[in-house]
This record gives sequence, structure tokens and C-alpha cells, in this order.
Amino acid sequence: MTAALLDGSAHAIAEAVRSGSTSAREIAEAALGRVKTRNGALGAFTDVTATRALAKADAIDAARARGETLGPLAGVPFAVKNLFDVEGLRTRAGSKINRDLPPARADATIIARLEAAGAVLIGALNMGEYAYDFTGENSHDGPSRNPHDLERMTGGSSGGSAAAVAGGLVPIALGSDTNGSIRVPSSLCGVLGLKPTYGRLSRVGAFPFVASFDHVGPLARSAGDLALAYDAMLGRDGADPAQAERPATPVSATLHEGAKELRIAKLGGYFANSAGPDALAALDALARALNAKRTVELAHADAARSAAYLITMIEGAALHLERLRARRQDFDPDVGDRLIAGAMLPGAWAARAQKFRRLFRDEALALFRDVDILLAPATPCRAPKLGQKTFVLAGKEMLVRPNLGLFTQPISFIGLPVVAAPAWTAGEKLPIGVQIIAAPWREDLALRVVSALEREGVVRAPVAKYA
Amino acid sequence: MNEGSLEAFDPEALASAMAPLLGLAQPPESRAQTIVHLRIAAEHAEKLSSVPLDDQEEPAPVFTP
Repeated sequence: MTAALLDGSAHAIAEAVRSGSTSAREIAEAALGRVKTRNGALGAFTDVTATRALAKADAIDAARARGETLGPLAGVPFAVKNLFDVEGLRTRAGSKINRDLPPARADATIIARLEAAGAVLIGALNMGEYAYDFTGENSHDGPSRNPHDLERMTGGSSGGSAAAVAGGLVPIALGSDTNGSIRVPSSLCGVLGLKPTYGRLSRVGAFPFVASFDHVGPLARSAGDLALAYDAMLGRDGADPAQAERPATPVSATLHEGAKELRIAKLGGYFANSAGPDALAALDALARALNAKRTVELAHADAARSAAYLITMIEGAALHLERLRARRQDFDPDVGDRLIAGAMLPGAWAARAQKFRRLFRDEALALFRDVDILLAPATPCRAPKLGQKTFVLAGKEMLVRPNLGLFTQPISFIGLPVVAAPAWTAGEKLPIGVQIIAAPWREDLALRVVSALEREGVVRAPVAKYA
Repeated sequence: MNEGSLEAFDPEALASAMAPLLGLAQPPESRAQTIVHLRIAAEHAEKLSSVPLDDQEEPAPVFTP
């Protein structure tokens, strides 16, 4: 009975805990039980914080017994990509090298905020090394596996986060997204992922990758749960220099206002030219459901992807240069070689890319004068097989690892808020995601659209039936 | 990057010149992959260079003292 709640929503779990129909401890034990039985197949968790989880759950149950009002996430189990600081754990960030660091002395800000709302941390999750990854593979911890087909990739770099949510281990997970690392695994694993506006949520306590583009956000199985987690994580944190001076604007209250009055268009051009038939079919299914008949273009999307690619190589290499000198052999080879190449690139390329970034931002803002929501594929195809190194896109053979995110990269390049939402086609057991993109600071609109699509049954994120 | 320079680009020479400056070892397998990534980066730089940029364009990040 209690374990079945883990297949449902975080909302339902919190309601059950608040009403007393189940206890936070029973939920935490059920989640820990699922990790124990399912994680061997999924490779989602790298650390389990059982003692902490049970202590937190007991504190929630004790608060209820005293008649206190419980938070909106009361008793909801969650887990975090292992680049987030968790007090007492070594923040491995998917690497071997970081395991030599001392344990974190405090939780990341957004973990503390979720726990303040009553959520219960179950553990830390597998990821691509140093977040430089779209596959979900990891040479140190093994791959996270797609719960809809264990022989396929989760996508990365927040692969463990998507696997944990799609596999029914936790209803909410945290990820980070520099170029697509929430949206790519959400697409391949059939969950919903929210990459908020750049500068919206605090990144304090998240191991960095590319400061220009690093975002943090939640993955879940419904728009309502994304909103619940997002609202709890809002708020200023003076320790993150990239966080914008914006008021915290919760989204849960407007979630059900529908999409009928919104101006919605598909992104064509670059986004249509390289997408495979499955990605285009998913995009069209959502566009039809939303009665979105217009197609618009971001004329420089291809150059935007290139600029994001170069800034990532150069900033990422600068971050890791000392480690590349001292411990090259301890890097995942697929990551280390890209970083070394990044260290060798001309600085003029990065400077030009940052200038172009402002121009491209202006191009997108001009588009948003005329539309409220843009739709684009999240990935060019469904989940590739584990170990697959190349695929063919638009007739050209390309590396999988850097190119699964070719549609997410231009969007995070200018920090637009996006929800990646999964679509399914008849008879197909693998999902594929669509990006629902809003103007800066309008996470509320993207989530309203997803919620409307859920009500129509076009978007859904069931727990995988692999077990 | 000017038209045609992608063909003239020599990632082997760049890697050979930069590795000692950066203090990076270059075992053969790693070097081969690094060169693949340098070539990909040059293709992206060429795409980026095709967009005209005015001298007065301000880079996206603005430092606030």
C-alpha cells in the first residue's frame, strides 16, 4: 500500500503523510527498499543516505504528532545528482578524482530548501563525469540504465536522476543542466525535467562545470510535482553571483490555467533539419494537441549551438586544467580528451562566442514579442544503445556523446526556461521528449502548457515496467 | 576564421605546440582523440565566424563590482 504511493505523485505522498494515512517513516523505508531491489539493474544511486533519511522521516512524524503544520513536501523522498553537496558525503561529480576531497560540510542550498519543505533525502545519483556528457555512461561507476530498456542509455549527464524517477525509486530528483543535462535524460527516460531561467535557482553547493551556462532544476513525473519542487527551491541566495535579483514567483497556483490563450509555435529551421522522424512525430503530436499551427525560426540557432559548444570546451578546460595536468589518467578518457582539446583553443573564440550570445538573446527576445511558447525536439532520436559511440543525423555520422544535446544547447546558451516533456507513440516502448520553451522568467507558462498536455493525455511519465 | 582556413587548420601542429605550454602529457591514444575534438571545435568556430559581429557588441556576461 505505502510502496504503491511511490508510483504516484509527490503531491499524493505529501497528502498521505499530512493526513496520517501513512507515515513519513513508512514512505522512506519503502523508497529505501526500492533502491535496494531496483538499483542493481538501474545504476541510478551511487550513495544511499538511509540513516539521515529515517531520522528526517521520524522528525516529520514527530512534528505531526505534536500537531504542527507540515510542509508541502512532507515525507516526499528525493535524491540528487552526485554533484550536489550533501553534508557528510564526498561530492564526486561523477569523477574518481573528487572522491579524494573531504566530505561536504553542508548541503547545497536547494537541498536544504527541499528539506525545509518536508522532503526526505534518500541519496546521491550517478552522472556523467564532471557533467560533460549526454550519455549517462560513467567509466568509474558504470552506466545508469534506461528503465524503459536496460540496454539503452539514460542520457546525461543527469542520467541517474532520470533513471531514479522513471524507475519509481523517488518521485523527485535534482539535476543540473549546462547544455541539456536535465532535458536529454528526461527525453530518453520519459520523465519531465525543468531547466529554469539562468540565474533563477541557487547553484550554491553544486560542483560547477561552465559557469556561463550552469543551471540546476528538478526532474519528476508530472508538471504538478515539478512545480511543487520548484516553488520550494525559489528564493535569493547571496552566495551565488549568477543568481538574478528577481522576485520569487511560485508557479503551482497558476498551473491549471490552461494553454488556450497562449500563442504557441514550433521552432523550424535548425531544429527541423537535424531531427529524426521520431523526434518530429513527437513534436507534431504536441503541436496538434495545442493547436499550434505556426512555425517560426531562430535564424542563428546553429551558430548558437556552436558558440555554446566552444564556451563549454574553453570554460570547462579552464576549470579542470590543474587536474588534467596532475591526474590525467584518472579522468574518464571520453571526458579528459575533450577537456584537453578545450584547453588548446584560442581565447578569441570564447570572446566572440560571448558577444554572439548577447545578439542571439536579442533574437530570441524579439521572437517572444510575438509568441509565448516555442516547441522544439529535446533529442534528435530515442535512447541509443549503451556503448554506442556514433549515430547518423541528417545523413552525417556524428559522435553520440556531444551531439545528443544539439537541440538543447542553443536554448540553455541564452538561459531560457524549458520543460522537457515526454511523448509516446502507439506501440513504442521508448519515449522521446519535446522542449516547451518560454521567455525568460516565465517558467509558469511552460508548466501551464505541460499541465494542459497531461490533462489531454498527450504527455505522461509512467513508472517503467521493467521490474 | 576566414573561408578556406578550416582546410588549412592543422590540429596536429596545434596540439604539439600547446601540450608543452599547458604542461599536458600526450599519450598517443589521448592525442588522437584530442585532435578529433580540435577538429570539431574548428568546425564550430567556423560556423560562429559566419555571423557578423559589430565592434561595439558587448559580451553577454557583465561584471558587477
